[in-house]
Amino acid sequence: MWRNISRRALSLVFVLFSVTFLTFIVSYFAPGDPVRNMMGGRQDPVRYEFLRHLYGLDLPWYQQYLTYIGHLIRGNLGYSFKYPERPVWDLIATGVPVSIELGLSALTLSLLVGVPAGVLSALWQNTWRDTSIMTVMLALYSVPSFVMIPFLWVIDLTLYRAGLPSLPVAGWGSPQQVILPVLVLAAANVGFIARLMRSSMLEVMRQDFVRAARAKGLPERLVIGRHVLRNALLPLLTVLGPATAFLVTGAFVVENLFAIPGIGYLSVQSIGQRDYPVIQATTILLALAVVSMNLITDIGYTIADPRVRTE
Amino acid sequence: MSMAEISSIVETTIPSRPWWVYFLRHRAATVSVIFIVVILITALLGPALYVRLSSSDLQQIRNGIYQNYDAINAPPSSDHWLGADYLGRDTLTRLLLAIRVSLLVALVVETINIVFGGVLGLIAGYFGGWVDMLISRLADMLFAFPGLLLAILVSAVFGSTARELYGGTGRLLLVASALSLVSWPLMARLIRSETLSLKSREFIIASQGLGASNVRVILKHMLPNVAWLIAVAATLDVVSVIVNEATLSLLGLGIEEPGASLGLMIFRAVGKLESHPIQVFVPALTITALVLAFSFLGDGLRDALDPRSRQSS
Repeated sequence: MWRNISRRALSLVFVLFSVTFLTFIVSYFAPGDPVRNMMGGRQDPVRYEFLRHLYGLDLPWYQQYLTYIGHLIRGNLGYSFKYPERPVWDLIATGVPVSIELGLSALTLSLLVGVPAGVLSALWQNTWRDTSIMTVMLALYSVPSFVMIPFLWVIDLTLYRAGLPSLPVAGWGSPQQVILPVLVLAAANVGFIARLMRSSMLEVMRQDFVRAARAKGLPERLVIGRHVLRNALLPLLTVLGPATAFLVTGAFVVENLFAIPGIGYLSVQSIGQRDYPVIQATTILLALAVVSMNLITDIGYTIADPRVRTE
Repeated sequence: MSMAEISSIVETTIPSRPWWVYFLRHRAATVSVIFIVVILITALLGPALYVRLSSSDLQQIRNGIYQNYDAINAPPSSDHWLGADYLGRDTLTRLLLAIRVSLLVALVVETINIVFGGVLGLIAGYFGGWVDMLISRLADMLFAFPGLLLAILVSAVFGSTARELYGGTGRLLLVASALSLVSWPLMARLIRSETLSLKSREFIIASQGLGASNVRVILKHMLPNVAWLIAVAATLDVVSVIVNEATLSLLGLGIEEPGASLGLMIFRAVGKLESHPIQVFVPALTITALVLAFSFLGDGLRDALDPRSRQSS
């Protein structure tokens, strides 16, 4: 079991290294001279050389990369090009809690809705209830967030015009402002989780031990609760990785349209400003989130599923 | 066992009907195919027809670039069937051009995806060893970037260069190649595992035993048996490509003005949602319809082509 986990952790390190390398290379070959951009109208050769040296841009690429990695391991993310006085960490530190709050609320909501929807759908298999739940879930899964947002806004606007209670359409801070973005962010995951949950339930319900439980006269409530559900919930662990990836992509759109100062907003901002240290840092951070979710999945599986443990 | 008994067994175990019989049973998929064909024809011929068939004074204002200052934010009318946008450009023409861009990007991405992901997956699965190791690690590397992140990074960094060198076409190709970076590892992984499981089957071993070269085994025996998977995976991937292209354009990293893109149309109109909601809903409903149609098509193809799902039904 420990060998399995440590092997996964090792591959995590490899993956993170490749992320830093690819991000570094892309930024390195980026057109334009960041120092020249930074100096704007006042081009002074001495100051130019000084700044290049300060950011380490006068070194060959492999030395730049090694220095970068060295700093990264010590938690130093470098300095922003756009705001030369501010370390990248400062810029990111304000965004991280916002994005985490948004992401965790969306994940919780999608589990709270998606799991019961999938379970009910499986119990009502092939009835009109099952079909209608699954149609809604397919719609939630496949309608892109930037289509959902305007629709929600219009509904919200209608409520507002009718003098009914309505929600703020943008911004961040008050509890009411959290609701709409979390709904949109959760939507795709709700559909995804419900579909997975349904097929996992149906898979378990076909097993022999379920038939045995029914045959010995156990009430259906206990068959489902004690035998089916507990086994069907296990594949849910695999959702964590893809669900986090969904949340990351969703965060780009949702944070930008709702003007929420999170990591997704910051990345798009810094991309517009060609602030490469910030771009690199946000990319690595987001990749780290997904990769560690995958590791948690693996560890969770190893602990929860005896079949995996013995392999 | 008599000959008749044997042939009855053979008949029941080998599906005798062609795949499209199974496909047509999938009603949503059949409707989707019709819808997609109609959309394809409309996107290819629509802009020209809509402009050509207009009377001569309308031809100019409907060309999708011309700014009709009398029709800024206009509602649908006989001049502009779906209204006009914030610059007075005809929405229907812009929409048709945007669908064309959407499908063109999807076509380019899937071509790269099939050629690159398919070939690498076949090679990795068939040869194994260090080749497999190399290809799989490369795919893992690209997989580490969650969702669109790598595509966002690449199109953001090289966007202005592509525009300076090749204009709108350069930008479109850049978006397509950035999106293929996200797509091909999944294709390669799927094809690899299917090839791996085929590799130990008798007909492959027999063919190798008869002295067939690796190239012949791959082309004659492997490829026909993974073709269905390539088709299904590529169709389902079109869904994410369409959404991703729109997302990139929405974030200002994809197709740029004066080019048309569904994401860009939504982005431009979303600020005026209160006063002119139709400008948002036209592209939003279009992209939803496209996405649903390709999902149903992919599902239908999978049900019809996957030998495992066919045996169980």
